[in-house]
Amino acid sequence: MTFQWDVVLDRLPDLWLGAQVTVLAFLVALGLGLPLGAVLCAGRLRGRGLWAGLAGAYIGVFRTIPEIVLIFWMFYCLPPLLGVTVSGLWTGSLALALVAAAYLAEIMRAGVQSVAPGQWEAASALGLGRWPLWARVVLPQALKVATPPFINFLTELLKGTTLLATVGVADLALKAYVLGAQTFRYLEFLTAVALVYFVIIFPVARLADMVERRLARGQR
Amino acid sequence: MTDLGSLDFSAIWKFREALAWGLLTTIWMGVVAFALAVPGGTLLALGRLYGPWWLRLPVLAFVDVIRFTPLLVQAVWIHFALPALTGYSTSATVSGLVALTLHVSAYACEIMRSGIQAIGKGQWEASRSLGLHRPATFRLVVLPQVWPIVMPPLAGAAVATLKLTAILGILAIDDLMKVASRVNSFAFRPVEVFTVVALVYLLLGLLLQWGAGAVERRAARARLRIAAPLPTDLRRQTVEAAT
Repeated sequence: MTFQWDVVLDRLPDLWLGAQVTVLAFLVALGLGLPLGAVLCAGRLRGRGLWAGLAGAYIGVFRTIPEIVLIFWMFYCLPPLLGVTVSGLWTGSLALALVAAAYLAEIMRAGVQSVAPGQWEAASALGLGRWPLWARVVLPQALKVATPPFINFLTELLKGTTLLATVGVADLALKAYVLGAQTFRYLEFLTAVALVYFVIIFPVARLADMVERRLARGQR
Repeated sequence: MTDLGSLDFSAIWKFREALAWGLLTTIWMGVVAFALAVPGGTLLALGRLYGPWWLRLPVLAFVDVIRFTPLLVQAVWIHFALPALTGYSTSATVSGLVALTLHVSAYACEIMRSGIQAIGKGQWEASRSLGLHRPATFRLVVLPQVWPIVMPPLAGAAVATLKLTAILGILAIDDLMKVASRVNSFAFRPVEVFTVVALVYLLLGLLLQWGAGAVERRAARARLRIAAPLPTDLRRQTVEAAT
């Protein structure tokens, strides 16, 4: 058995369509997940009370249910429940966004809570208002701590977009599978697509490691 | 639009046995994959840390390729592409189990590596001066201290493994997710079927997390005894769930 890469090259335009769907799902999930995650993070930072409880429950539930179960649920249940027809791409991206929000909220919370209490006390002792306290003191320090896990999360999210293939969204993974079935060249197509994911994720993950090491050096 | 009064759970009751078997499949695949992945990951970590270069490099490549590609692609690759290379095909259950085990092993390897590296050089040096060989040092001195450090992230990996089993339904494995899809395409009751299945997964996950919490508390006490803090990169991996 030898690799026949020309089969893959012939279908490159089709794979490119799949890649665009993957990128779209990734961006939608991130674009919706970030603001929702920020809201959840704000809720959890209250510590106690109704909002903190709700945010905590949301984060617990959406980090526990497998993404794929949620994707199926949204794909099959949203249309009859809402009485509308929605494509798998949108319900799937929404499901990924809901899960992403839970993870992003925890990443943000860890960042904010890493800022030492003395920083808050010093800032308010200096008479800083709410806004400058967050913008000038807390966020710059919190963002630093949150950056490596955030970059790591981006790689997880990209891998998560492949799950949309299970509800028939023609993303890169499904394209590879379908083209492999059509041409009986699973090996080439699946290997090529696995390589694409690896080539994107590997440098990003290494970047996260690098940032983390640099931060660890700065702390000492 | 469906109103709540028209919900009909009879299909789920009718197919309760199939669904229960699906749940059992999900559980045993997760348990077997995790049970194989922890020793597998430990061996990989040993190879990566102490092996000669011709062992270190392939282990590093293997772990990175597994961690940086999606499990879905890996499972499909093992089931459909690998037979073209090896010449014989495996059943869906075997392919899925292999993919899941390899995937979790790679994550377990990273966890074990961080844990082993967290043990100070002084422990090795002290054992050496007491006349212990390196394998004996690892087994008797280092490993007992590694467990409390890696317990919390390993418990997190166990929860992640349960979530990952749901992906294996894409191969023709009748796990809970796949059986649910089949029941739905027979009975056309998506809201009832998928809500119940989601709740089952949630319950299973919460149970596992509750167990993980108990393990974590015990590990925290043990860490206090040996005065080892949780390494920062392990704290991150506890949060990360593999996909």
